[in-house]
Amino acid sequence: MRKIISLKPNLNKLKSNLVENKISDPWTSIGTILGQTSIDDYSFHLKKFKAKKGDIVAAEAKQPTGDGRVIDVIVWGRIMEIISCNEFLPNEAAKELTEGNIDIQDTILPLTKNDAICTVKNLGYTTNDPNKKLSLMPLNYPVYPGGAVKYPASKDLESLLNTDMKGRNPIFIGNLVARKDVDVQVSADNMVSRHVLVIGMTGSGKSVWVRRAVRELMTKQYPILIIDPHGDNLGIVQKAKKLFPDHKIKLFYPKISASENNKEVIYTLIERLGNKLTEPQYDFLNWVLTKTDYETGTSLIQYISILIQKSNKAAENKRNKSTKSSDGPGNTGASTMGVVSRSLRKVYAKLNEMEQSNTSNRNKYPHLKFEELPDPYSQPEKIIQKSQVSILYLKGYESLPSSTIVSILLESLFNHRSAGNRTIPPFFTVLEEAQNFIPSKSEGQDGYPSVSTIKKIATEGRKFGTGLMLVSQRPYRLDETVCAQMNSYIILRLKNERDQRFVKNTMENWDNEEAKQLPNFANGQGIVSGQITNLPLTVQIKFDDDLTNEDIGDENFIADVQNWKETPENKKKREFSKDFDEVFDVDKRKPH
Amino acid sequence: MNNINLKEKNSSLFTNFVKNVINNPSIEVQKNFMDVSLKIAQTIKKICEEEKLIFDVPYNGKKYWEHGKNYQSCFVDGGVFSSVESSSAPFAIRSKSYIVKPSETLSNREKFEETIAYMGDLYDSQNNIYDLSEDPYEDNQLLNKKKDAARIVFEIACIVKHIFEKQKFNYCLLHGPLQTPVMPFSGPEFPQFKKNVVQNILPFLNLNKKEEKLNDRHFINVYLESLKYLLKSKFPIYGIVEKTNSTIYLRNLLLRSYKKGKIAENDYNRMVSTIIRYKINDGSLFSLILADSQALKPLEVEKQIPSKAWGDWDVQMNSFPKTFIGYLKTNSHQAPIRIESLKKSENLMDDYKYILASSKLLPNYGFPAGLDVVDKAAKIPAWLGRAAKSYYSKYYLDLAIESKNTKNVSSALKMLQGGRVWKNRPRAGKVKK
Repeated sequence: MRKIISLKPNLNKLKSNLVENKISDPWTSIGTILGQTSIDDYSFHLKKFKAKKGDIVAAEAKQPTGDGRVIDVIVWGRIMEIISCNEFLPNEAAKELTEGNIDIQDTILPLTKNDAICTVKNLGYTTNDPNKKLSLMPLNYPVYPGGAVKYPASKDLESLLNTDMKGRNPIFIGNLVARKDVDVQVSADNMVSRHVLVIGMTGSGKSVWVRRAVRELMTKQYPILIIDPHGDNLGIVQKAKKLFPDHKIKLFYPKISASENNKEVIYTLIERLGNKLTEPQYDFLNWVLTKTDYETGTSLIQYISILIQKSNKAAENKRNKSTKSSDGPGNTGASTMGVVSRSLRKVYAKLNEMEQSNTSNRNKYPHLKFEELPDPYSQPEKIIQKSQVSILYLKGYESLPSSTIVSILLESLFNHRSAGNRTIPPFFTVLEEAQNFIPSKSEGQDGYPSVSTIKKIATEGRKFGTGLMLVSQRPYRLDETVCAQMNSYIILRLKNERDQRFVKNTMENWDNEEAKQLPNFANGQGIVSGQITNLPLTVQIKFDDDLTNEDIGDENFIADVQNWKETPENKKKREFSKDFDEVFDVDKRKPH
Repeated sequence: MNNINLKEKNSSLFTNFVKNVINNPSIEVQKNFMDVSLKIAQTIKKICEEEKLIFDVPYNGKKYWEHGKNYQSCFVDGGVFSSVESSSAPFAIRSKSYIVKPSETLSNREKFEETIAYMGDLYDSQNNIYDLSEDPYEDNQLLNKKKDAARIVFEIACIVKHIFEKQKFNYCLLHGPLQTPVMPFSGPEFPQFKKNVVQNILPFLNLNKKEEKLNDRHFINVYLESLKYLLKSKFPIYGIVEKTNSTIYLRNLLLRSYKKGKIAENDYNRMVSTIIRYKINDGSLFSLILADSQALKPLEVEKQIPSKAWGDWDVQMNSFPKTFIGYLKTNSHQAPIRIESLKKSENLMDDYKYILASSKLLPNYGFPAGLDVVDKAAKIPAWLGRAAKSYYSKYYLDLAIESKNTKNVSSALKMLQGGRVWKNRPRAGKVKK
């Protein structure tokens, strides 16, 4: 008969590894492994209600080693699925109960014959050698059928999850969904250097995660730049000032300007925001652009007004037949010049409108101090500084201008870092609504300037300390190359099948069972995986409610309508309109 | 009422019809079978109505279980490991009870009880010339009979045990007939049960105290004693038969009418003869006659026919209790279930209401749900049966070696080796995986 190895003696050995976490509770036996096991997974019969989906469980096993020995190990795994079945309850009985409105409790049908069968995905094994570091190793031999499955004590589990975090600047992010008493930490070192992708549908808890990560990095005085298209992070500004009095929390609004050496970005923006031009019109626009010097730091709106003046002047000269070499290429006609001028006026109007929109949005928060974004070329230290959080508020700007602004900003900051002149310290960029800045090719948004910039930072950022955290609710709309550079993932609730497919295609070691959980996560629940953690974990992220902004909660339109008061002007307008209607009614000469 | 619409009635007739079509593919034969079946059904229905045997059983599931939940019921079935070996039968056999009182708290509401279980030789090898030797019948008939006899006794013994232990049930239902004709077991070669088996399963018999007579442990005697003990029960006991090819009700009905002088002798004989020729049975016929939730009042019938026994069993066979047999149609599309009891029911309507409500929980199957549950629970799974078999084979070899009889040893070795199995067949042109 096979000797069943008790886990307890193994644990006693394990205890010596866990100096700070002593094993207090015995591990309870919760089930027995069923007939067929594999390296990847196994199934077991669960004692009723003794474990739940997502729980991490342990099974005893033996592993052959490279030197021909067989050692006792603990195999750790996660419960991926629990199937409850009652073979004594035929479907037709359920139908009869439903249609007859009969309570099963009143009938002779059995209630106690529900079997729970769990499927466990193996995470790895730990040895019991006190001289070795407690870390998960890949399995090379399956657990044996008939073995006991144990429910590890919280402290022991916590030690396993957070082992080796020392020296990697661990930060607390929350608890295991299945075990509220098990704290989960992730490595801040790996987070700020190796990029994180945060995805989840609206209301899934992306902001919960961002607040948590930002707060923990603030305690480490790490500079943070948040690109915020919707103002989701204004709460941090409002509250963190009180919570982190020694920190600078800067709130910026954009100013579109570029340096001489990347003014092409500006040209692209003008071309794409304006009307579609014919070849001669495009030639003239190019001519105007090249003949108009762009001074570094000049506001784009100012620059465009100069271009408009120049185009108008050239057209006027053309109409007056005063031909000068400075009035356009070759035989460009006055009408062509006029069209270009009109297109530029359109660009001007659009940018002006966006700026106005941004201003009016800012005005909704009179208690917040917004500053114009300093020039990232000449004053990067005003944006990136130790113990400073900078938030760039982009609300009101369309995606192309936003992309341009972000491209110019990040390119410049990255250049400062890569130049190695210590102008600014390493920093961490949080890019909200990342799909607006790194759209995938299938989105038909080729030529967004931020794509190449972010691609560069994602590829080379690790060397220069320019970590990225991309946050998106539509992962399938993200650029695949950039996503492939992400080393860690926070996957929150996702219901869209295309998004789920994207996750499956992007993440290594992702399996279907994990994908099944995605639509069912509650707010702030998700999978944390990659280099920031020892093993993929289903986590309830801690909710930092002291960092939320009451002003920026969900809009309550119904309450708005209920409290709605008509302006006196509108009231008058309606009154007069009625009078006018009476006049028009008697007007017999009105055209039919 | 005599117009029976075949299309609207259930499928058991259709099943029979298909069987006949397969045997006799001619269209004339089919038509003739339908015509005869219909005519018989119309006639029998008329007789049933004349005798006031048909009655409606009211059913309202929700309303019923609101008070039915207070009943404590016991459902009984047996399971036998079905390994066929041409030797002294190595049995793994058990009878299970599913005892349920829905109104109790979850921990007390239901119990799955292995009331009786036995593994090993049930039959005594002493004075049994057939033990450890060839089966005198072809195709393991004796072995099958031994299995059947064991199962029948174990199931009844299970109910005996509940009575002996003074259980307070409102109902006790057995999966299968409550009394089986014992004629097939009356042959001279049929072995006796071992003493300890009888002591185990029938505690009231107390074989040690009285002087044992010849054949005391023979199936017929053991079964008779068990059934007599069932008559002491304070709770109603019913055997529920799912499928019936028997004509017992039909023939007794005709005989009763004949004896009452309501049908002529000639008609009686002709009818019986027609029923035999056309293989009409209770199930197919009453499924035409009864509507959903309709029942036939039980008739008191003799199940044992001493004249047909092979040995001298007249006294015992005449001592068997009479059986009351009725039918209940539990849905519109299945043949009615047969309901057997050994005593005349005191509350026939209430009892049938309970059986109907239990069957309505499985609306397609139309069989009491508690019996379906215990049927599944009582089955001996293959893995358990195989384990029992290998344990027993080894035990048997030891016995054979001790006996120093080469024939026995050879027979035991054959049992251990197992037979030729399909998976060992050689394959051509393929590497066996």
